[in-house]
Amino acid sequence: MKVLPQRAHGHRLVGGGSPFTPYLFLLPYLVVFVLFRFGPVVGGFLTSLTAWSIVGAPKYVGLENYRALVHDPLFYTSVENTFYFLLLTAPTLIVLGLAFALLLNRPIAGRGVARVLVFAPYAMMSAVVGILWTWILDSNFGLLNYYLAKVHLGPIPWLSSQIAAMPAIALTTVWWTIGYNMVIFLAGLQDIPPQLEESARIDGAGAWQVLRHITIPLLRPTTFVVVMLTIINTFQVFDQVYVMTGGGPGTATLTLVQYLFFQAFQTFKLGYGSAIAYVTFALLLLMAWLQQRLLPSEVSA
Amino acid sequence: MSARRTVRREVAAVLMYAAEVAIVVIAVAPIIWMVSTALKPEGQILSATPHWIPQTLTLENFQRVLAKYAFLRWMANSVVVAVVATAIVVAIDAMAGYALARFSFPGRGIIYDVIISMLLVPIQVTVIPLFLIFAQVRMLDTFQALILPTTANVTGVFLMRQFFLGIPAELEEAARIDGAGDLQVFARVVLPLSRPAMAAVAALTFVSSWNNFLWPLIATSSDRARTLPVGIAQYMGAQAGTSGSAPAFGPPLASAVMATAPALLAFFLLQRYFTQGITTTGIKG
Repeated sequence: MKVLPQRAHGHRLVGGGSPFTPYLFLLPYLVVFVLFRFGPVVGGFLTSLTAWSIVGAPKYVGLENYRALVHDPLFYTSVENTFYFLLLTAPTLIVLGLAFALLLNRPIAGRGVARVLVFAPYAMMSAVVGILWTWILDSNFGLLNYYLAKVHLGPIPWLSSQIAAMPAIALTTVWWTIGYNMVIFLAGLQDIPPQLEESARIDGAGAWQVLRHITIPLLRPTTFVVVMLTIINTFQVFDQVYVMTGGGPGTATLTLVQYLFFQAFQTFKLGYGSAIAYVTFALLLLMAWLQQRLLPSEVSA
Repeated sequence: MSARRTVRREVAAVLMYAAEVAIVVIAVAPIIWMVSTALKPEGQILSATPHWIPQTLTLENFQRVLAKYAFLRWMANSVVVAVVATAIVVAIDAMAGYALARFSFPGRGIIYDVIISMLLVPIQVTVIPLFLIFAQVRMLDTFQALILPTTANVTGVFLMRQFFLGIPAELEEAARIDGAGDLQVFARVVLPLSRPAMAAVAALTFVSSWNNFLWPLIATSSDRARTLPVGIAQYMGAQAGTSGSAPAFGPPLASAVMATAPALLAFFLLQRYFTQGITTTGIKG
């Protein structure tokens, strides 16, 4: 049976030939998707219900891993550290990202070059960023302490001190990823019709008022995306920590993913590690839900 | 009154230039410092006063890295993994995105919802099961173990579907009336139109594979498949205890330069596609 091409809704076509065609188009993707994404996501939960070290068969233990987490002080440390890192980086990345975008959205000389250069650190790999900043933050010969000494500050033993290690990693992360937020904000700003800001200015609004009452409200959908992505990405911090401190000194920079890695791949408690992974996932969902409540993407009337 | 306003505007303009210069300097200075350090002999690296321009230029750090570590092997591994993964992703995501955008068939809604819902699930949730899967089939420490999970990416399907929804269907209809089959329509009409979308998907996939860290760290255990970021982290990181007691910064920074140069070069050449991909999805890979 030959079905004549027709539009379903909008631009959607009902395909020409066999009814199997769309499934054939989907098949290659669905195979890898089910095997390497969907399957593992479900499998991860099942693993979290077992005691499983690499040797031997998994043993079903119900919610025992989750119960053990509740009594695990290192788990609480890693949750605290992760939220501390989130607090140190996320607000800075969001506010500064917006500020950089506002600045480089203005008709200012060299803004094209500036945009590319501010974004450039993001093109570096995390391991390299970690190495570079380990050197810059070095207590004795690091660039940062040298310039801090010029203004009579320090020396701060950045990565070797329990107090300064997390801020040091946060600083590194802000430097590395700020350009990413800036680029998303810039795209959002370019969607705002310039006439709106102009007419407000003609009506006598100052720069600050235009920003507060026109630009920021209109930027809301973009801000929603940036906040969500920043939270997701900072909550999953691992690479920089692995390279720069390995979770130390002591447990000062032990984050959730760090702890997952340690439990699953260094002590090979795969079930316990899976439970940590799922708790991380649950915390992320909780934060996404909170954000939805507190900062909706659309202004509700 | 108006004179004062002009002065104020000029002050504001100067401040904005100053801010622009400041953020560019902060973004770029560490990268320059990385290059400068890598070109110094070890004795001049640890110096009480930093010299932005090396007093003595040397390539000894680069030579030491290349002689002592399988650096080029790691880099080749990274290239192979990223290229193969990108090629697969572009092909299968274009097909899947096309099916989801242009056909109506039973199960389309649920398939799309399940795929998209995976955007919410952090990748860490999958690493333990992936490790178990590849250990089971004895394929840990192989290219397949690195490539296959990367091909199950969600962003690409989403991006391709959005793109196909956005282009008019008239050309496809015309080709169909002329008697072209589904595959011909897709290959001859749709694919040539979707080069920009495929370029964005390719750029995002390549970069996320190139930078991917946690899974390759878990999946590899030898230079056979070890990728560049993993090699650098394991052998040059602060935790690696770069043999000897005193920390040596020369070789790590030389390897940082060698790892960064191709990435930055590609970024400057392709940044249009790169930022395009980010801004259409707001997601990295």
